[in-house]
Amino acid sequence: MTFFVRTKQKISRFLKTFFKKRSSRIGIYGPPNAGKTTLANRIVRDWTGDAVGPVSEVPHETRRVRRKENITITGNDGQSINIDIVDTPGVTTKIDYNEFLEYGMEKDDAVKRAREATEGVAEAMHWLREDIDGVIYMLDATQDPFMQVNIMMVGIIESRKLPVLIVANKNDLPDASAARIKSAFPQHPVVSISGLEGNNVEELYEKMASYFG
Amino acid sequence: MPHKCTQCGREFEDGSTKILKGCPSCGGKKFLYIREARRHDDVLEEKSLEEIIDGAGVEDVLEVKPARSSREVEVYDRVESIRILGPGSYELNIEKMAQSDEVVVRLDREGKYMVDILSMSKKKKRE
Repeated sequence: MTFFVRTKQKISRFLKTFFKKRSSRIGIYGPPNAGKTTLANRIVRDWTGDAVGPVSEVPHETRRVRRKENITITGNDGQSINIDIVDTPGVTTKIDYNEFLEYGMEKDDAVKRAREATEGVAEAMHWLREDIDGVIYMLDATQDPFMQVNIMMVGIIESRKLPVLIVANKNDLPDASAARIKSAFPQHPVVSISGLEGNNVEELYEKMASYFG
Repeated sequence: MPHKCTQCGREFEDGSTKILKGCPSCGGKKFLYIREARRHDDVLEEKSLEEIIDGAGVEDVLEVKPARSSREVEVYDRVESIRILGPGSYELNIEKMAQSDEVVVRLDREGKYMVDILSMSKKKKRE
């Protein structure tokens, strides 16, 4: 499988030098702790064998935008796309260091984390304005999707006319409900996966290849 | 002694706080102050409400204006993109951030602002 993928990538890179097609940048957005980096890691590992960044149960682990270029994703029907994956810090409207203290963090570290997380949100929004061609909006399916930040973010993405694929993550957990997310965003395709366990990621790849292609 | 609503004629006791938010019956904002001696003129002299109002001096009419400060500004209408409530505590205005790169930071509650002029003048960065 890996050999096949590598060869395919080499061919596609070779072809690209002729056609100069810019790969589309797909940003993974969503609230903190939705599993954005976990999914980014899985996508990158599945198609290149690499990793994007560390994950943690403490919110705002990702505080800088991370990018992995030139990933070719092939759906089961053979359709493939070349993308850059952009993993972004969780977007939220309120950041308070007290939240991190509950995870046993020292006050100074928590305050620093809060400041970096705030800068991270600004950076994520900068990318959304300037450099993103399509969005995977990631939601924790065990949480209420009708949070104001989600409605606002999807609205912002829509107003920029970017294609958005909504991912209902954590379907390995008993409380997860993809139906609730579907009812919240009926205007967009929703894929239910578990980024951690890898459930149903094939469907996601298939959808990505056809939707962002 | 009472106030009378100039729209519907409802009477209010003197010093009534009800009229401060407008007439509870019709929402009228203008009230006529009626002296005790003339309180029953409208019935005794068969005057209509309009005639009493016309006969009264301007100073007798009290107009209630809604207090401006009571209008709370929506979070997303505020000018600042980041509000620093204290060390390590922030309020982010995502819609503002989505509109432009200008970062306006509000410190504490004292109305101190920080504007990042450098980031505004910077050319678009492409990596």
